[in-house]
Order: sequence, then structure tokens, then C-alpha cells
Amino acid sequence: MRILTCLKQVPERDSRYKLNQDGSGILEEDLVFETNESDLYALEESLRLREAFGGEVAALSLGPDRVSKVLRNALAMGADRAIHLKDEAFERGDARGTAQAIAAAIGPDAFDLVLTGVQSEDMAYAQTGAVLAQVLGWPCATIVMEIAYEAETRGIQVKRELESNVFERVELPLPAVLTIQSGSHPIRYATLRGIMQAKKKEYRVLTAKDLGLSPETVGEVAAKVRHHRLLVPEKKKQTVMIEGGAEDAARTLMDKLVNEIGVI
Amino acid sequence: MEGRIIILGEHREGRLKKTSWEAIGLGRKLSAELGKEVCLALVGSEIDGLAREVSGRSGLEVVVLSNDYCRHYTPEAYCEALAEFAGTEHPYLVLLGHTYQTMDFAPRLAAMLDRGLIPNCVDYRCEAGQLVWVRQVFNGKLNLEVSPKGEPPCLVSLQQGAFPASEEDLGAPPQVVRRRIGVAEGALRRKLLEVMEAVQTRVDLSQAEIIVAGGRGLGSKEKFQLILDLAEALGAGVGASRPVTDGGWLPKEHQIGSSGQTVTPRLYIACGISGAIQHLVGMSNSGCIVAINKDPYAPIFQVADYGIVGDVFQVVPKLIEIAREIRS
Repeated sequence: MRILTCLKQVPERDSRYKLNQDGSGILEEDLVFETNESDLYALEESLRLREAFGGEVAALSLGPDRVSKVLRNALAMGADRAIHLKDEAFERGDARGTAQAIAAAIGPDAFDLVLTGVQSEDMAYAQTGAVLAQVLGWPCATIVMEIAYEAETRGIQVKRELESNVFERVELPLPAVLTIQSGSHPIRYATLRGIMQAKKKEYRVLTAKDLGLSPETVGEVAAKVRHHRLLVPEKKKQTVMIEGGAEDAARTLMDKLVNEIGVI
Repeated sequence: MEGRIIILGEHREGRLKKTSWEAIGLGRKLSAELGKEVCLALVGSEIDGLAREVSGRSGLEVVVLSNDYCRHYTPEAYCEALAEFAGTEHPYLVLLGHTYQTMDFAPRLAAMLDRGLIPNCVDYRCEAGQLVWVRQVFNGKLNLEVSPKGEPPCLVSLQQGAFPASEEDLGAPPQVVRRRIGVAEGALRRKLLEVMEAVQTRVDLSQAEIIVAGGRGLGSKEKFQLILDLAEALGAGVGASRPVTDGGWLPKEHQIGSSGQTVTPRLYIACGISGAIQHLVGMSNSGCIVAINKDPYAPIFQVADYGIVGDVFQVVPKLIEIAREIRS
């Protein structure tokens, strides 16, 4: 089975954000970036499918130089090769632009499955996978928890998460796009051996020109939405922040819960 | 009838979801503000009763889109039906609740229509006749203002609970329009095999007066014991955010949030939980919310009544000690 796994690089979860002067973006200088968590689950599922059925796993990421960290890590975890879509023309695109670039990189008949995470932790549009499926003309299942492949029919059955502890099982033919929910299987760590082997694996950098894409079809120009500014959210509640060391804070809190709120 | 606001309703077992009533509430408000007509579209078969009921209550025209493949939800049948409808209707705006079903089909529908989808919006403002939507980004730490670009319609999904639901029953005469939508069977590749309710959960947190919940900040299954100890000392139920159940530190039935349980205890103590949107929708209506987290910028503090910025491993043992003192 030939699988493409799409991974996005996002700021670390505990990041503190500073806005630029006009509020149109964040300052990247002090940020540390990591791989989007649900994309790592997608990679884990991809590696498991390859281990069970053979084939290859290619890891793809779109972004500036810094995303090589995501791809090197994917190679170290076990991906066979890396595709880095790197071009100023791709920047600030929406899901459609990103999907166009990925679809162009896929080309004809190269993969049976594309796996990616349910959503990114930074912009959280939760669209790239499903839009990519539409661009490719492939079927898609989102929010997938389990994948079962049937070699005879060349179809897959997946378990999808619905809301409130309800699930559904659906069947779809290959090639297909799946977006993977967190929690499917524990994410493996890169081993020292994996890190050493990663250095010898294929790492391709592709620009818009390499993919035959004109800049007007990807990136900010092609986006169907316009980003205005970022804002620090207003608090919904008047939060009483309890100061002091652990012991004092704990005493103050318990005192309020017992005497003021009366819930304990 | 060009340029209407279309609300796409989501229904399950003959009932319209609460999030769709919230979309109706906003749709009617926008209709008044923008001077646009508004209607509700439902995809499905044998839903005339529901359509009449919703139309009567909301006073909206309800358009029922159906074909032979719409009895159960599949993204392809829905997208085909809705793309054809939007193609003849030329709406100004398409509004829908941000649900798992929306996440499954709406991006595809937007791509079919070659339009944008602004998901999970929590607020909006009208600027020179143009709607600017507010949505949460960077794990809920920042808000982003977004507007559609290019020709309408834009698709906009609303965060569950972010807008008040239309609750008043207008008792209007039902206006239901039925439209058959042609879908080629070959277009339907994804097939539904079964819907499974999770095993009847043994952990019912809906009746708990106090819930102590732990998150990623606990770090491991062993260290999560601290949460169990605090819950025991307070006589509380035990909840968890997604990373805890993903990591197998606690069974999935303890998960609170959009894919787990929704709870409203009198007291909710969130320990080491950053407050992802998916978690907040499951607990933000609790009576009193206490958050203990080392990250002062964690979104959980946006909904907390009391907050302690600190290490759960320092603060929680003290709470356990004091709770035991009080109980004895």
C-alpha cells in the first residue's frame, strides 16, 4: 500500500503569543515549532498499515525551511521519503490552495491513501483533508479512529467518531483520503537507529514551478477568505486569581469553596 | 429569490439538533440586520413531519432536499444535494452548526462550490455591509477575524453554544418546499455500514455535584492517581480531557467534551487542563469552575471562576490534605 501522510508544523502547545504591530500575525522569533498532534497520529496509522501490508509511506509538509524538522522527525519515525513543498507562493493560503499544491505533488496514480490529522492546532480550519479529496476526486472519511484494509476488494472500512460517544463504521474504495483523530494508537518515538537512517532517506523539495502551479492558484491570492487581525480573547467571566504559594493558594481556594460558594 | 441566507439544519432521529436552532437564531437576526430573506434546508427522506414542525416553530420556509440515497447521512449524497440546491438558489450566506457532520461534508461542499468555509465561529460584526466573523485559533489562545473573499455565498459554521438558540414557538403556518435532487449512484462511494452507540457507559457524570477533572498536565497514568485521590477526598466524580483517555490513563467513558459527556456540576475542578474548545463545550456551563494550570495563558482561565496559576503536583496534594481535614 502506498500512503502519503500530510503533516503540518504548528507552534508548541504551551506557546505564549506576541502579536505583530498591526495585529495581522504573530511574531515567530520566540516560538518553538512542533508537528501537529493529530498529524502524528496519522503518521502512526500510516506506518502500521505499511507494516501490515507492505508498500511505502511518504511524508509531506508545506511551509518554510523550519518544517524540515517535521519531515526529519517523520523519516526518523519510519517514513520512507519526504516531500517538502516550499515556496513563498504557498504561504498564507487557505485549505483549497494547500490542497491544490498537495494534489499537484501527488500526481497520477502515485498513492492509494492519503492520511492527515483531523485539524491543525494553530488555525483549526479542519478542512485540508476533505478539500484535498474533492480536488483529487477521491472519497473521504474524516475523524477516523480505526482503519481496516481488505486486500481482496481493495477497499477499507473505517470507524469514525461522531459526537457524544457515538461511532459509525463506513466503507470506501481506494484511493481515498482519511483524516485521523487523536488517540487511535500511541505515537511511536523516533529511535536513535531511526534518526541515523533518516539521514540517508530521500528528501525532495518542490516549488510551485516544479509542480506546474501558477502563484495565483495557491497561497494568499487564491484564498477564499481574508484574515483581518488577531485579538486576545476577552474573558467570559470575572476570574478570581488566587495568588501565593501552593499551600496558601490551596487554603484560600478551599475556604472560598466551603464558605462563599458552599459547594463543599 | 436570490441572495437568501440558507441555514443547513442537522437532524437525528426526527429531531433538529440544538446547534441548528442556534443557527436559526442567528440567521433570523442577520436577516433583520442585512435585509435578506432566510430559509432552512434539510437533507433527508421521510422528514416532512420534522420540516413542518420546524417551520411552524421558527416561522421559516423549510426546503426539504431528498433523493433515494439520503435516508442516512453520507457526505457525497449531502454534497451533491446541497451543491445542486446552492447552484439554483445563489444564496448570500450558508450557515450551519459546527458539528462532526459539518466537519465531514462542509469543506467538500465549499470546494465543490469554489467558495470559502469559515468554521467554528464564536462571534461576528457587520462592517460596511460586510460580515466579519470571529473564530478561535492557536488552541483558543487568540481570536482571528475573518471575512469571505470573492462571490457569495460563503459557508459559515457556528461553534456549539456560542449563539443563543431560537427557542420561541411562533406557531406559524408551516411552509415546506420539497425538492427532489438527482444523485447518480456512482457518485456515492462511501457507504454507511453501522452506527454504534458506545457501550452503555458505567460512568455517568451528568448527576455529579462535584467533578474533579485532569488533563495532559498530569503527564502519566501513574501521576493521574492524584486526581483520583482528590475526587475521593471531595466525594466527587472523575472527569478527563481527551489526552488522558487517548493516552489510556483513564477509560474513554470519563472523557468530557464534544466527543464524550457534557456535564453541569455545581463545582468543576480542572487540573492540568489547558481548555481546548472541544473540552470547554462539555463543561463550561458548570456552576463554579476552578482551574489549576501552570500556563497563565491557558484558555481554561477564560471560563474559570477561580484560577490558580501553579503546579498541579504542588497544589493538588494540599487540596487533598485540606479536604480530608474538613471531612474528618
